[in-house]
Amino acid sequence: MGYEPKLVCFSCKFGWGYLKDPNALREEAALLTPVECSGRLDALHLLKAFKEGADGILILACEEGHCHFQEGNFRTLKMLYLLRDVLQAHGIDGERVRIEFSRDPEGRTILDRITQMKASLSGLGPLDRALL
Amino acid sequence: MGEKPKIAICWLGACGGCDEAIVDLNEGLLDVAEAVSIELWPVAMDFKYDHLTAFGKDEIAVGLVSGHVRNSEHAEVARLLRDRCRLIIALGACACFGGTPGLANLAAREEILDTVYRTAPSVVNPDGTIPQVETPWDGEALRLPAFLHHVYALNQVIDVDYFIPGCPPPPELIRNGVRAVLTDDLPPKGSTLAPRKALCETCPRNKTKPLRFEIHGPIRRIHEVEADPEMCFLADGILCMGPATRTGCGETCIRANTPCRGCFGPVPGVTDPGSRFISSLAALLKVGTTGDPRAVMASIGDPVGYLYRFTHPISTLGARRLGEALEETP
Repeated sequence: MGYEPKLVCFSCKFGWGYLKDPNALREEAALLTPVECSGRLDALHLLKAFKEGADGILILACEEGHCHFQEGNFRTLKMLYLLRDVLQAHGIDGERVRIEFSRDPEGRTILDRITQMKASLSGLGPLDRALL
Repeated sequence: MGEKPKIAICWLGACGGCDEAIVDLNEGLLDVAEAVSIELWPVAMDFKYDHLTAFGKDEIAVGLVSGHVRNSEHAEVARLLRDRCRLIIALGACACFGGTPGLANLAAREEILDTVYRTAPSVVNPDGTIPQVETPWDGEALRLPAFLHHVYALNQVIDVDYFIPGCPPPPELIRNGVRAVLTDDLPPKGSTLAPRKALCETCPRNKTKPLRFEIHGPIRRIHEVEADPEMCFLADGILCMGPATRTGCGETCIRANTPCRGCFGPVPGVTDPGSRFISSLAALLKVGTTGDPRAVMASIGDPVGYLYRFTHPISTLGARRLGEALEETP
């Protein structure tokens, strides 16, 4: 009891919560970071999040075919496939990074999605940092 | 005429390849020996630990140190060299970035000891003996260096003034580095004594790089194909670390029809060449929106070993300083 997983959430500004005040969103979820496009994420951002204490990362990307920059969302998906091997080699389960392709301009479901992912992270327990 | 500047050449966890590169200066070595007094070089000359302790603080002008730090003896010799040398140059990929042995950081220390001394198929060790730091023997205590939890680059253990990368570093870079020290023509402290560009910028195959760069999977590995001797490896679907790696090596691998393995480490401003390469590879890979990127990704055998072959100890996830969590300070 008492274990609260640290979840970092990156959300695309074009598909997620753009009708909502970003400060209000952040009050609800402190580790929510809006980005210009999920394709803006570099593998380094994800590695740094884990290194600095995250237990999991949730990426909220646009639906297939709806990326404002053509295929930033797909590029991020490819990057994640490669990165998963790197994470697993360091004892970080692939389940700890999730990408969701959808659209939610009012950001109504963001908090729910964060809560859901936190619940599954709780099942995994704290990240074993022996190799980090 | 004053006394010649003293120079120390020393190896920690190293294979000796960097020392070999110094020997490869050939006749140039005589010029070096003319200009400096080589006081310490365990690979080539007689060496006892006392030889090093006998020097006064800062008595040696420059120490060329190769190899990573994996045990307490490496750490102790590194600290001693730091004290006795006015300048320390990290020589080679292991000293600069941890090198290939740094991939051992992907396994815990106990796992490594267990595999090497107990479970490897060729091992016969019915008592399950594992080396100890101290073993009583015949009324005396025999001591071995402690095996640390982690592989460290030299600057994670001591302060390092300059870096000469490479596995091994080309003799020319070593000669230039020593000359820069002797003529006091040095860049700011912490600099790498090699060009600042990426390998692609000096690669003889650069001209074959297509204007619109796309890699159409699957990824091929160099031993699986007969590579075109002129074609850009990446454009040909063969992984090459060139875009994420510093140049200065003389493109020796490329000229031998072998893609870059990244031994010169990251270009300036990049700390984690592996993740930089992942991001750019993800952008270059064309699998079509209906294709499955997993198939392409699966064709890259051992991506971690490939991407961090020389640099794991300085990477985002692998970087640690001696004395941090887990480690007993020797």
